[in-house]
Amino acid sequence: MSCLVYISIQPRMTRSVLFAMLLLLSIFATAQDKYTVNGYVKDASNGEELIGVTIYIPQIKAGTITNAYGFYSITLPSGTYEMQYSYVGYTPHTITIAVEKNIAYNVEMVSEATLIKEIVILDKPIDENVTSLQMSKNTLDMEQVRKLPALFGEVDIIKNIQMLPGVLTAGEGTSSFYVRGGSADQNLILIDEAPIYDPSHLFGLFSVFNADVIKDSELYKGGIPARFGGRLSSILEVRTKDGNNKEFGVSGGIGTMASRVMVEGPLKKDKSSFIVSARRSYVDLFLKAANQDNLVYFYDINAKVNWKHNNNNRFFAAFYSGRDDFKFSNEFGFAWGNKTATFRWNHLFNDRLFSNTSIIASNFDYKLELQDAVQGFKWTSNLQELSIKNDLTYFINTKNELSFGYHLTGRRFSPGSISPNTAGSIFSDVELQRMYALDHGLYVSDQQRLSDRITIDYGVRLSIFQNVGSSDVYLYDDPQDNIDISRTDTVHYGAWENIKTYVNLEPRLALRYIFADGQSVKLSYNRMVQNTHLIAAGTVPVPFNTWNPSGYYLEPQLADQVAAGYFRNLKDNTYEFSAEVYYKDIKNVTDFADNADIFFNQDLSTEFRQGKAWAYGLELMVTKREGKLTGAIGYTLSKAMRKVSGVNLDRAFAANYDRRNVVNIQAAYDMNAKWTFGANFTYSSGRPTTLPTGKFAYQNYNPDVITERNGYRLPAFHRLDLSATLTPKKNANRKWHGQWVFSVYNAYNRQNPFTIYTRTAKNEDGDVIGDGRTKEARMIYLFPILPSVTYNFKF
Amino acid sequence: MKNIFIVIAFAVVFFSCEKTVLLDLNQSASRIVIEGQVTNQLGYQYVKISRSVGFYATGDTPGVEDATVLVRDDIGNEFQFIHNPGNLADSIGFYLPEVPFTGEIGRTYKLVVTVDGEGYEAEDELQPVTAIDSLTYRISTDEQEDPKDYGKFYEVLLFAKEPQNTTDFYLFKFYRNDSLKVYDDTDIYYADDEILGENIDGVPSPIYYGPGDIARVEMYSLTRKGYVFYNDLQSLLNNDGGLFGQPPANSRTNLSNGALGYFQASALVMQELEIKE
Repeated sequence: MSCLVYISIQPRMTRSVLFAMLLLLSIFATAQDKYTVNGYVKDASNGEELIGVTIYIPQIKAGTITNAYGFYSITLPSGTYEMQYSYVGYTPHTITIAVEKNIAYNVEMVSEATLIKEIVILDKPIDENVTSLQMSKNTLDMEQVRKLPALFGEVDIIKNIQMLPGVLTAGEGTSSFYVRGGSADQNLILIDEAPIYDPSHLFGLFSVFNADVIKDSELYKGGIPARFGGRLSSILEVRTKDGNNKEFGVSGGIGTMASRVMVEGPLKKDKSSFIVSARRSYVDLFLKAANQDNLVYFYDINAKVNWKHNNNNRFFAAFYSGRDDFKFSNEFGFAWGNKTATFRWNHLFNDRLFSNTSIIASNFDYKLELQDAVQGFKWTSNLQELSIKNDLTYFINTKNELSFGYHLTGRRFSPGSISPNTAGSIFSDVELQRMYALDHGLYVSDQQRLSDRITIDYGVRLSIFQNVGSSDVYLYDDPQDNIDISRTDTVHYGAWENIKTYVNLEPRLALRYIFADGQSVKLSYNRMVQNTHLIAAGTVPVPFNTWNPSGYYLEPQLADQVAAGYFRNLKDNTYEFSAEVYYKDIKNVTDFADNADIFFNQDLSTEFRQGKAWAYGLELMVTKREGKLTGAIGYTLSKAMRKVSGVNLDRAFAANYDRRNVVNIQAAYDMNAKWTFGANFTYSSGRPTTLPTGKFAYQNYNPDVITERNGYRLPAFHRLDLSATLTPKKNANRKWHGQWVFSVYNAYNRQNPFTIYTRTAKNEDGDVIGDGRTKEARMIYLFPILPSVTYNFKF
Repeated sequence: MKNIFIVIAFAVVFFSCEKTVLLDLNQSASRIVIEGQVTNQLGYQYVKISRSVGFYATGDTPGVEDATVLVRDDIGNEFQFIHNPGNLADSIGFYLPEVPFTGEIGRTYKLVVTVDGEGYEAEDELQPVTAIDSLTYRISTDEQEDPKDYGKFYEVLLFAKEPQNTTDFYLFKFYRNDSLKVYDDTDIYYADDEILGENIDGVPSPIYYGPGDIARVEMYSLTRKGYVFYNDLQSLLNNDGGLFGQPPANSRTNLSNGALGYFQASALVMQELEIKE
């Protein structure tokens, strides 16, 4: 069965939903002498659409912001208005417009970075921190991120996400993150709207995002808008550049670990552009040099084209492929990767009704192979999804902005298939049960400005999840008995036959109240539903932890989160301050039973356990966006607990990633046109771990006695990284721009705990010492002080 | 599937260092540990009883000498075990049958132990095991390049037929000149037959031998419970602290009353082979 079948049932449903919604809208659309100003806001230098530009109209003390596609629309009574366009890092743009008819007005804003550095621009940065309705959201400023030190000089947005308040990590060298007490699989990670199922390269040393091509990334930790669904704890939305539609350019970098190159340019000036970016690591080349017959590498390719048919129709096609490949002595191979493709159509039905339609495909797979005459086998597994989304925004008037849409996703889970790869192999062909699911999301929300001070957003998302055939469902005497597994029956479901349907309503609510100039409070509530579960064995998911849909045995996970925050800007918006508290309650959180057998288990469902989790915390953040010294200080006080029957003798335990106190400081200092300095400092209390309370002898083995899961804390984690960026004076006659980035990771050479394990006492060579009965604990730590140099270029 | 862990270990180890740390650990109350075995071969029946100790304790764990131990089968036979009948210094805590007996395939055996008035029980079924058709040997070129033990680079190849219409679990033990060997101190050699085909033609031993060595391979049948015990034990011994793998947990066992260890009933087949240059 091909995934393409999913599309065929889509148009009918969308049309009827659209119709109902348009009917609803016609009730609103009665204003007579009102006209709409709309358009796109772009960067003047390269034509990139700017997201989140504030458009403010002093006369009515109101405005709007550009959406994810750089589009804005505002409807006003006829008259003459001053419109102010402002955006961090750009020179503000002001225009006076006589609004007597509907006007399409596209704006190109000039980046401060393209101006001469010595001129200090005294514009007021916008106060989005205070005025925007959205709370619990962090936007990564890519310009800022590039100034900060990075591991091996590889700029990595996930490593920066891990520095945000409310976000915890399992430690350095991992690409998973944990938002407000949620596990790693509760984050929806999107690149150009397509989900990435495993964001790691080299088991997490790097993430799959090549910073060169990233335009913008946002993390939603709470108050999650109704247009997002499917994961409980966060949405990480990463958008790639559209490509310069003014002029052709090449840029790239040569680093210690990997090299990058990016080509972009117009296909037709101002109308269409393309961008292609690639990155490849070369650890394997070092290994070759070290005479090891091993291959270890990863690569990423991002490509995008976009074309503007006219102001009402724009098209984008984006593609991503990234892969890790490991081969050891030509015997053992291991590989995994993500592939995504997005096709997007932005359409203006009229001046006020903006629509985005996307068709998205995503594939995640991994492969294990052993080349051996007797024990040879090949193990493959993948997850494929195809979805279509239709998101509409109706800019009703300056007071109401209605968003609604329909998402349909089909997924095919192929958890594993093993086949012998030689004639003499001892293995037989075995395939684990494939699973199929259809996921419908239908939402509507209205952002309403009740007064100059109060704005609310209320919405609801309807999630309908169907686990469908063709599939065999095994029935058990006791579905939780993982020792004496006894299947009582196998029920076969035919293609598309419904196995289990889960319907959930997800209310979303947000409120912002500006109670004084530059000060606001915000409140939010969201319910999220998750029907695609990655049940990780350990703290950090690895590629071969397989995803499972809700179904006969797994119920949807449900999270309710309330959050409240105080937001304040100081010194003409130079400083942004925020304080947020949250409480999150999760039902049906998934875990594996103690001692679960997770490798190629046909009865994996007997190892599933579901329980509850709860988390709460306080997050403080101060950001300085303007001036020579910029940066942020974040502090998080939080607690994350779980209670799952069948795990830890049914007792509550601290989540694997629970850390009480976390402080992160990131700072950049632009000394002059030549030199920029950056620093990261991170401190976090130790995460919990399970350690023995004794040992015993069984045959010749010395197993530990375990009494409690996560009963201990690893030592605290802290580290300082430094960087210096040298931009030599540009030769006016040459197009070539070069830049050197020097960085030092772990500047004071702290041995930070990665994990602690136990073993029988051994000497340096790994040989057992003494009578073989003495045990010892070993702490693994990753990176010592690591200097690195990267050379970036552009022409 | 153990290779998977090697890969992860590699990825991490490539950039990592490690050191021994001294932990300030809580100590749980000492628990009774039982290691019991009944097979269909004469002289392979024993029960060992000891106690768990603190993580940092040194030397052998204390054996329990004053327990009462008996094994019953499901047709009313009862076998008394007595403590260290040979009065050997290295057999403290070992209980052997008062009257030698052998287990029978298809019987279920029940172990009953009393220590200081506390009772501990376990049951296991003695399931059949397939025959080892033959053993051969050859030089392992990889091991020859870099032998773990000097001069030991011959691997023994095992040939057998895996019965495809039954669900079987196996435990293997490898001896070099009557001495039980493992390649790595945490290795356990066990298997289920879920993904095995019928022809097991020349699976190499994990232990290497030198010329003149006598190689012995023992193959034990396990029940599903026994397989689960060894699988859990393997995860516990090789756990990474719960970072990528599962957090450590005690093995699931057939023993009652919180005792650690396992009581195993197995059919046992073995083959020996002398390695010649």
